[in-house]
Amino acid sequence: MMTQVANRLLVSIPVLFGVLLLGFFLLILVPGDPAIVLAGPMATPEIVDAIRADMGLDRPVLIQFASYLGRVLQGDLGRSLISNKTVVSELAAAIGPTAELMLACLIWSIPLGIAMGTLAAVHRGRLIDRIIMAISVAGVSLPIFFICLILIQLVGVHWQLLPFIGRGGPLWTLEGLRHVALPALSLGAIFIGPVARMTRSSVLEVLKLDHVRTARAKGLSERRVILRHGLRNALIPVVTLVGLQAGYLLGGAVVTESIFSYPGLGRLAVGAILSSDFPLAQGAILILALAFILINMIVDILYALLDPRVQA
Amino acid sequence: MSAAADAPPADGPAPGRAWWRRLLSDPLALTSAVFLALVVLSAVAAPLIAPHDPFASSRSVMQPPVWTDTGSWAHPLGTDGQGRDMLSRSLYGTRLTLLIGVLSVGLGGVLGSILGLMAAFKSAIDPYVMRVVDVMLSFPAILLGLALVAVMGPGAWPVIVALAIATVPDCARIARSIAVSVMKQEYIEAGRAVGLSDAALFTRYLLRNAISSIMIFISLRFGQVILIGAALSYLGLGARPPVAELGMMAAQGRDFLLFAPHIAVIPSVLIFLIVLTANVLGDALRDVLDPRLRG
Repeated sequence: MMTQVANRLLVSIPVLFGVLLLGFFLLILVPGDPAIVLAGPMATPEIVDAIRADMGLDRPVLIQFASYLGRVLQGDLGRSLISNKTVVSELAAAIGPTAELMLACLIWSIPLGIAMGTLAAVHRGRLIDRIIMAISVAGVSLPIFFICLILIQLVGVHWQLLPFIGRGGPLWTLEGLRHVALPALSLGAIFIGPVARMTRSSVLEVLKLDHVRTARAKGLSERRVILRHGLRNALIPVVTLVGLQAGYLLGGAVVTESIFSYPGLGRLAVGAILSSDFPLAQGAILILALAFILINMIVDILYALLDPRVQA
Repeated sequence: MSAAADAPPADGPAPGRAWWRRLLSDPLALTSAVFLALVVLSAVAAPLIAPHDPFASSRSVMQPPVWTDTGSWAHPLGTDGQGRDMLSRSLYGTRLTLLIGVLSVGLGGVLGSILGLMAAFKSAIDPYVMRVVDVMLSFPAILLGLALVAVMGPGAWPVIVALAIATVPDCARIARSIAVSVMKQEYIEAGRAVGLSDAALFTRYLLRNAISSIMIFISLRFGQVILIGAALSYLGLGARPPVAELGMMAAQGRDFLLFAPHIAVIPSVLIFLIVLTANVLGDALRDVLDPRLRG
């Protein structure tokens, strides 16, 4: 088990290096001269030169990368060009809301997706299976911004049931819950399809196995066979799916947060890119990439814990 | 497929000559194929069949489509917030949306397939290729898109490049796993024994037997790529005016959702139908060509 985790950590090192290289290039490859961008339109050539020397832009690229690495490792990602706050403080304020959105999305979409997938597998080939699979395919084919727009229009504007702009506070307060409801519904809607599909094929796979036949032969009720012996073992691939689909979910979150003006990392990244705030964009992309790597690592380790066969 | 007569049969259930006939015997797949063909044809022919200039404004702003009470045949799908003809814009928008999807899946698919097949063919380079692929897999498409747009500025090209790069590692993995099983077959051994060159072995034996499974992957990937591309355009990070793109058109319609919902709904529904039919067709293709992959 420990070697498993250690191996997994080792694999992440080149990936981390790649992420940092990406962040570095984001800063030095910006259109135009970063020193001129930073100095602003009114700056004299002397000021630009001073900024260039200050940022180390006159030094060789390798040395610049080394000093970038040094700064990042000390938690210094620079300052936002727009707000002049440190990038780290901007990111810290946005992580919580994104984590809350993810939680609020997964907490309803995963159970529903698993239930739909199991139902479809048990009634394989019948009408209910076809309906559930049709819903899944439609779900993965809908553009997420369309789901957001429909929900805003119907629930927000027409019925005026729920707010659809910004965040109302922490998740455990009523206002916080009310504000996160529509974004979490939109994001979950695109996630049910993959979960249901994966659960269905996984349950079908497990129901063919010997221990399920034994359970049936013992005379257990069909319900017990499916829930205790089938679904329980079928859930392992579903856990991996959440890891594999983390990127897909992240993409959805970027769109959802932007549309609902929800102050998370996705909206921060999009806003920074649209306003050419390069240090902030670099920080947001860096932290999103780190989160993605971390999620995949946790899922891999969880997978090993859930399935004793992987430990070999 | 007729040129493949001298190549050994594919691994597993043979696709057979009339795989497309079996594919089209499924009514759902047939409908999807017809719809997609129509969409592609009308997108390609957009300059010839568009009734109006897609970029020219007119006085009739936010005119509803023809099936509503106040619609008219002058603008069958109505006009947008600037009085531009929605039908013409949709045709041009579909053209660009499809182009983004085809180019990124095509570029990424070809590069990924070559990497994956080479890795399986030459075991010496396998670990290196797969390590690079693992690192690439750690960057989800949306992050690559955001990063490239940050560096290159918003536009269709950064999105195409990002989606192509994001397709490479997935495709390389699929291609490799298929190719590894093909390489174990006896006909590869036989080909070697009769003294075929590596190039001949690669193209005539390996590529021909792996291509159908790779095509299935690419067809299923196509829908996802279109969705990400459209989402980036919706956010203002992808294709930008003056061109028309479906995701961008939906974004332009969001402010008129209350008075003129058709401006946002028409491009959104078009994206949905294109992705849906591509997914249905991809699923059907998989069932016909390679039932082992069935999920």
